[in-house]
Amino acid sequence: MIEFRSVSYAFDDVPVLEDVSLSIDDGEFVLLAGANGSGKTTLLRHCNGLLTPDSGTVRVDGTPVEDDLIAARSSVGMVFQHPRDQFVSATVGADIAFGPENLGLERTEIDRRVDAALAAVNMTGREDDRIDALSGGEQSRVAIAGALAMEPTHLVLDEPFTGLDDPARRSVLERLASLAADGTGVLLATHDLRDVCELADRVIAMRDGRVVVDGPPANALGDLDGLEVRVPSG
Amino acid sequence: MLTYEPDDTFAHRLDPRTKLAVQIGFAATALAHPTPWALLVLSALTGLVMAGAGVSLRRTLVAYRFALLVLALAPVLSGVTLGAPWFDRAAATASGLASYRVLLVLLVSAAYVRSTPVRDSRAAIQRTIPGKPGQLLGVGVALVFRFLPVLRSDLRTIRETMAARLGTERGAVDRASTIGMLGLSRAFDRADRLSLALQARCFAWNPTLPPLAFSRADYPVLVVAVVLACSAVI
Amino acid sequence: MATNQTSVERVDDAVVRSFARAAVLAALMGAAVMVGSIPIPFSPVPVSLGVLVVYLMGLYLGPVWGPASVGLYLTAGAVGLPVFANGTSGLGVLVGDTAGYLWAYLIAALVIGALIHGRGQLENPAETSVPVLAAVLLAALTIIYALGTVWLGYMLKLSTIEALNLGVVPFIPGDLLKIVAAIAIVKGGRIDPT
Repeated sequence: MIEFRSVSYAFDDVPVLEDVSLSIDDGEFVLLAGANGSGKTTLLRHCNGLLTPDSGTVRVDGTPVEDDLIAARSSVGMVFQHPRDQFVSATVGADIAFGPENLGLERTEIDRRVDAALAAVNMTGREDDRIDALSGGEQSRVAIAGALAMEPTHLVLDEPFTGLDDPARRSVLERLASLAADGTGVLLATHDLRDVCELADRVIAMRDGRVVVDGPPANALGDLDGLEVRVPSG
Repeated sequence: MLTYEPDDTFAHRLDPRTKLAVQIGFAATALAHPTPWALLVLSALTGLVMAGAGVSLRRTLVAYRFALLVLALAPVLSGVTLGAPWFDRAAATASGLASYRVLLVLLVSAAYVRSTPVRDSRAAIQRTIPGKPGQLLGVGVALVFRFLPVLRSDLRTIRETMAARLGTERGAVDRASTIGMLGLSRAFDRADRLSLALQARCFAWNPTLPPLAFSRADYPVLVVAVVLACSAVI
Repeated sequence: MATNQTSVERVDDAVVRSFARAAVLAALMGAAVMVGSIPIPFSPVPVSLGVLVVYLMGLYLGPVWGPASVGLYLTAGAVGLPVFANGTSGLGVLVGDTAGYLWAYLIAALVIGALIHGRGQLENPAETSVPVLAAVLLAALTIIYALGTVWLGYMLKLSTIEALNLGVVPFIPGDLLKIVAAIAIVKGGRIDPT
């Protein structure tokens, strides 16, 4: 479980998060909606200690994040915008192995995890492919596989659809939904809620660094007016 | 262009550390003995090394053509004198032999380049250089490999954009500084995103090292490397 | 999770940030050597922008990570990435006739980084005055020329004058141009490394 308790954070004296409290359970699929600059990215980067709150606490599975960054970062897999800049190796398999190698696992265990992660994003057998030769959608899926190879309890994604066409977007979404169904908590930040709402358990919306909506999609959608979020039409 | 090519030659099956040792031994002795007899023996050895790695002499010479130009000019420059006898044959010969040994060293290293994938070199670095420097150098080489095509296309895009806006009419300083500034700022953006991804994936000082093992074929070649290195001080 | 995580020694976040920049700038240098050549007036040789990146490494990465970045570039070239002049690579280039210039890049980046930033925190180089920047970069170029010429002369059995004519004189206009370009980039102030 990821838990925020009255978290505030300022950058250059400008408040970016103000008194944010929320929690995300294992196996829950949560959407984080809000306009650019509403604080989504800053919130996500608190989940694994890339940022530390000015006040308040963030806990992962009960432990404050800054007490054990390795535990937090292996429990919370993170996928950023621009997957192209997140790869550390030129080939798919070597890149996915990077995280497990950092945990000091045995080579056989690393190989097993690479295979499992590739299977989870529907890319079995592609470990020797060159990353630069992949399509945008495939690159996004490899980035997700790289996070999954850490066997995290949660997966946090920041606008992973930037630059993807609709079919690629849909195939990534379907993978996320099936991961959530298998028990991984998913927190997905996006300003585009088209065809994701029916997959999600909950929608959290932000404005000016505050959580303004938190509830099931059916209830939440009506409250999203004025947040510069694309919502399903009709 | 001279680069790694998948193949099944003798050199491809050798451990990268063995091949590095041969290169170092060869360069040491070639630098120490720019004499006709030594260079004759080393030429024969270079031929063997190139055959063992499936290196084409013609293609390698083409790849190094600009370096060859300097090597060819050196004896001429060295021989020409401003007064009688106008051409000093002894100086030209000494310089020619010295140039020729550089050519041999380049050809031997071409055999390494053709027969060794970057991941093997990375493994060799991480397993040979101890501690933190070895880890940073190994992962760093993988990152350079990964980002080289990305930044090459960045620079190409910048140049094309400038050409489209008649940038070619501007002064050379102006163009160099524009390309440099745009290239640098994009590189920093990419580096900062990469840095978040490395942090999120628990970048560690003591990861599981890439697999690498000497085989039976390596030992005789290692002996050759040691003999070469020793011959440098005779 | 049942992993031996307690034994994992995490690289400090600040180190990761500097290291990522060093690695990406090393790749930028390789890309600049290949893509960057610009024809310049009064010189027979078109000039690659590689050395410009060496200046930027010292200016923007400082005395530790600047040379580290050069080191990554040299290592990547040595193991076969086509990042040396005209897309070449190989350990042979690092001991060959032009190796002196390449090794001198390490010292040049160190000297630039040390003179601009000192030993403490990274500063924004835009705060350094133009005459100081020019003097520092000229000093770095002098180091590159000196080491490059000595090694070229030794390797090819040339006198100092012959080595200068082969390895320095044709490149002077382009190298001065790159110093001016580096100063323009710094003074443009678009990039703040702090």
